[in-house]
Amino acid sequence: MNVVIELRRHLYLLVLFAKNSLLSQMEYRFNFVAGIFVETAFLMAKLLYVSVVYQTNVHVDGMTPDTILMFMGTHILLTGLYMGLFYNNFLRITEYVRTGMLDLMMVKPVSLQFLVSFRYIETGMPLPNIVAGSVMVAIGWKASEIPFTLFNLGAFLIFLALATILTYCVMIIPALLSFWFVNTSAASEISYSIWDANNMPYMIYNKWIQRIGTFIIPVFIITNYAPLLVLNRLRGIHLLWGILAPLIFFILIRLLWKQALKAYSSSNL
Amino acid sequence: MPVGNAVEVCQLVKEFEYYKKDIGMRQSLKNLFFRKKLVKKAVNAVSFAIEEGEMVGFLGPNGAGKTTTLKMLSGILHPTSGSANVFGYTPWERKKPFKQLFSIVMGQKSQLWPDLPAGESIYLNKCIYQVPDEEYRRTLDELSGLLEVRKLLGVQVRRLSLGERMKMELIASLIHRPRLMYLDEPTIGLDMMSQRAVRNFLKYYNEQYRATVILTSHYMKDIEDLCSRVILINAGTILYDGELKRIGTRHEERKLIKLFFSEEISPELLLAFGDVKESDGNYAVVEVGKDEVRLCLQQFLDKFPVVDFNIEDLQIEDGIARLYSGSV
Repeated sequence: MNVVIELRRHLYLLVLFAKNSLLSQMEYRFNFVAGIFVETAFLMAKLLYVSVVYQTNVHVDGMTPDTILMFMGTHILLTGLYMGLFYNNFLRITEYVRTGMLDLMMVKPVSLQFLVSFRYIETGMPLPNIVAGSVMVAIGWKASEIPFTLFNLGAFLIFLALATILTYCVMIIPALLSFWFVNTSAASEISYSIWDANNMPYMIYNKWIQRIGTFIIPVFIITNYAPLLVLNRLRGIHLLWGILAPLIFFILIRLLWKQALKAYSSSNL
Repeated sequence: MPVGNAVEVCQLVKEFEYYKKDIGMRQSLKNLFFRKKLVKKAVNAVSFAIEEGEMVGFLGPNGAGKTTTLKMLSGILHPTSGSANVFGYTPWERKKPFKQLFSIVMGQKSQLWPDLPAGESIYLNKCIYQVPDEEYRRTLDELSGLLEVRKLLGVQVRRLSLGERMKMELIASLIHRPRLMYLDEPTIGLDMMSQRAVRNFLKYYNEQYRATVILTSHYMKDIEDLCSRVILINAGTILYDGELKRIGTRHEERKLIKLFFSEEISPELLLAFGDVKESDGNYAVVEVGKDEVRLCLQQFLDKFPVVDFNIEDLQIEDGIARLYSGSV
């Protein structure tokens, strides 16, 4: 019962964070609108990949460009979710640690990890990615002749949710390292590069990279498993791992978070 | 923990690791490959107890260990060793019921969203602390009225003056009616009127709700107006724990004689009479024992071209400064 009450409370706080973030962002109209335009421009650059895939008629592991479009769409959609939910917050964690601003958050009777992970929710900038990603998935879905059933849609959405949890787990690591090393911009750059390398089906990489990207740093699960599931190509150990990995990595991140807090030395900047 | 104590601290120690780097590129290159770790004892075996409802001034120069102690007592920092008991809780276990009991206000840090009206941040705190609607409305009305900022609740925080912002910080921190308040330099940078308003408010809150308050401030007026008891800390060690007026009593035994001369007098000539606190040739301040005032003054008048003089009590700051320097 307590868990349910706490969950409801945290969800309500999440809504308040989103509301406050939107109100804050709308105070600066120019930046709000410019952010959407900038992200749209980035999106256009990414869409050039799509035209290359179609023009060269690339096939990956027997998948046609239409099917590959689903993977690319999933990547863009999740980039939008990452930008909206986590990107700003993870950047700020390093700043909280460096300046000691974490102090005033630590004393609040609410999960600190929740507070710093979701305090600022970006609303404008992720929109182009979320809309374009969803449209690409829909086009790829139809062109690949995947039956549009409630089961398929539900399974795809569940795996998208699991991918979002994994995104959180993978991309928060550089921010957590700042508790020990303060400045971790190099680690952040590596994580962005890994993220960007994940915009095609992971079968384009050799077996070892596939294994590392699936079982050690599970970035490939994020973009690949939801489309593979509805394509009926996710079976056996991969299906099980797709469900378990987010849970296992979330527990590991929770443990890392607790260790990080012990290393926190505050600051008077 | 004896009945009535809100805070009990026993042999609390906090050490920080740091390293030194001399200036220059060569030192920076050396520092890139090799760093010698040094350890600083910010708080060294500090022990004290504070009764519920008490208002205690926590004094010390910069870097004395005041803020570090407050951070340990609020659970922000883990101590290196020692124990603390705050209303039955160990602060650094960070249990939710403990966090409901207290609030911390730091003059140099803000918990308000700068781009939003303060009312939004206060409402967020209401939700975080799960304050019932009716109690929230009553508390907000009372606190904003007392601090005379009711009309400013809808103004963006970044457009408020420093004093107004601090008042909003106080409201946000007290919206859940904490039993214990840690105030770390809450009046820093404020003008005299804002300082007075904040002091009056804190006094009211302490009396009205019997809240325990630990206050650090570099403004003696804050301490004199609010705290009958002070804890003096320097280099991580407690130098004095007792009534503020007793620091005054100690140096009531001393007086300051301010002398104005018609020609320049060397400070060395005055050393025989007492401690020369100030001297610029035509003006000097000499600290002497209370019993020696008459005799010293007579000799000053006889030996030097004195055109005017004043006899004054030492300020509490002087007594505190003597404690810091270990001269008492």
